[in-house]
Amino acid sequence: MPTLSSPSDVAVSLISVAKSYSTVEVLKPFDLQVGEGEFVVLLGPSGCGKSTILKMIAGLEEVSHGEIHVAGKLVNYVRPRDRDVAMVFQNYALYPHMTVRDNIGFPLKMNRRPRLTRAVIAERTAEAADIVDLTAYLDRKPAQLSGGQRQRVALARAIVRKPAVFLMDEPLSNLDALLRADMRTSLLDVHSRIQKATLYVTHDQIEAMTMADRVVVLNEGRIQQIGQPHELYAAPANTFVAQFIGSPRMPIHSLKVSDDGAIRIAGATLTLDAAVVLERGSTVRVGLRPSALRVTDSAAASACFCGVARRRDYLGSDSYLEIELKDGSSSINDVTYSVMVRADADTKVGPGEVVYVDAVPGAIHIFDEAGARLCGASVSQRPR
Amino acid sequence: MTATSTSQDETRQVLKSRHTTRSGLPQSRSTVALSYVILAIGVTIALVPFLYVVSTSLKETTSLFSYPPDWIPTPLYWGNFKSLFADHPFVWWTFNTLFVAGAVTALKLWFDTMAGYALAKMEFTGRRGIALLFLLSVAIPISALIIPLFFVVRYLGLLDTYWALILPPLANPLGIFMARSFIVAIPDNLEDSARLDGASEFTIYRTIVLPLIRPGLVVLGMFTFMLQYTSFIWPLIAVQDSKRQVLAVGISGLQSAFLQDWGLLSAAMLLAAIPITLVFLLVQKAFVVNDLSGALKE
Repeated sequence: MPTLSSPSDVAVSLISVAKSYSTVEVLKPFDLQVGEGEFVVLLGPSGCGKSTILKMIAGLEEVSHGEIHVAGKLVNYVRPRDRDVAMVFQNYALYPHMTVRDNIGFPLKMNRRPRLTRAVIAERTAEAADIVDLTAYLDRKPAQLSGGQRQRVALARAIVRKPAVFLMDEPLSNLDALLRADMRTSLLDVHSRIQKATLYVTHDQIEAMTMADRVVVLNEGRIQQIGQPHELYAAPANTFVAQFIGSPRMPIHSLKVSDDGAIRIAGATLTLDAAVVLERGSTVRVGLRPSALRVTDSAAASACFCGVARRRDYLGSDSYLEIELKDGSSSINDVTYSVMVRADADTKVGPGEVVYVDAVPGAIHIFDEAGARLCGASVSQRPR
Repeated sequence: MTATSTSQDETRQVLKSRHTTRSGLPQSRSTVALSYVILAIGVTIALVPFLYVVSTSLKETTSLFSYPPDWIPTPLYWGNFKSLFADHPFVWWTFNTLFVAGAVTALKLWFDTMAGYALAKMEFTGRRGIALLFLLSVAIPISALIIPLFFVVRYLGLLDTYWALILPPLANPLGIFMARSFIVAIPDNLEDSARLDGASEFTIYRTIVLPLIRPGLVVLGMFTFMLQYTSFIWPLIAVQDSKRQVLAVGISGLQSAFLQDWGLLSAAMLLAAIPITLVFLLVQKAFVVNDLSGALKE
């Protein structure tokens, strides 16, 4: 990932940017910088404001507050065409009455400073079509192309302008799963060839985790966390990020800190991996990452938890078991805890069977009552 | 069964299923026959008056009321047509009508689509108010406007000019609403994309919006042209000069209170129908569904 060591490395800078529609604040003030050549993914559920951010950068939405800089230039009041950004839309937005060649060449024809000659337009159109492997389809109309090809035309139309910044608004969400995986690879290939700052909006965490240099997680108009994919996974800033990243979803349980200051869940005592002081009797929230919990067939001695299997989800490479952890002797936390646990794909464990669960480092996350991350934890004392 | 007989069977099957319902099910012979009979009656009802006009135009007025009616007169009488061109400025009327209808259509398509684009796609203060005002003005009947309009046109010194015939119809807001409804159907993303690609609002209107609403424009254009072609009341009032009159007014002037020259009138009506029929035949291919396929993910 490029490091933002000097202002000249910054392709896009959003300073205290916010967006409101009359009295409704859809984006709370936030800062974000995207480095030259960096691939930043804006990730969040529908309606969280991620597309609005792109549209504000593109100039298609007004900024209610704050400043947007593109390539070092304040662009708040600059027309979209003069911002040096190109955008790929979720639904392609191709001009249906034009051929692929005319679609790709359209931004060049619109270029007035300097006005490009036909020869230059033809050459750059062919070059962009070659990058996205569309040379054979230049004389077709969009209606004669498949979904993936149409999206590649949209991509070529963005590439051909050689903009400072690429904005991509869920460009793959209309494609089927197989094509989406192919297009992810194609997009990354293109990105590595042109090395331009890219802001990519998606609600698909797999796209975010596989493509991004950095991920910006958004929810309800607020940035939840900015970080590299592994940071979001290993150290989620709050319960939203913890549950949004990772599949299956991380179960989170509220627990009371016991009188001796320890946190106990299902008979196991947790040791915090940071010097966090917890008030006795206060409530904390404990998340257990399904992929870091493993079914172990060894005896209870090495297992962290013990429970009863309720359901099995077969995924091909693995299976996930929904397990109800048996509570220990604690009278404070006298409840059952449902967790998802990874098992071998061909595990023989079925519903109703008693299983032992091992927790690898990074499995347990402690959040405060409001949902902010406190630290990670491991099991220090196993249930008897 | 041999290959040849199989293919004959298939051919028979295809021939059999030529008459199908909308759902693709074959129709019985009696149903097909009945539908042909009904259609033939409809065509006859539509054609007879037209054929009667053709027949009348080729007869002398004196032989019009002979009994039994003489559908194909012998010999054919061309005097009605000759009289139209020799005794009346029929060529001028036709030219005036085509010129005025063409000019109104071209200007209206231009103004209506630009106004429709603004109302459909641009954000500005008072947009809704203006749209409402336009809508309300559609409800005002033309007869209520004629006298004030006459005074305005006279004040401007435009009576007896082509401007008197061309300018007032341009203010009809119905076309703006039609254009607006065509343009609203174009997804905003297309314009956003063009805007980012460097297109100005006018370029978006000209290179993206107009081509995409072309089928709608053909309908609007045809509608406007036909309305102007048959327009009567206003041209009757605005133009007195016989050489500036349009066909509808000119032809009505062929009648007098005491003498109806049906042969002459029929000849005029027949000739007046030819240009509009040709225009319709020329543009009917363009009456197709607005084609946005491929623009967006369906």
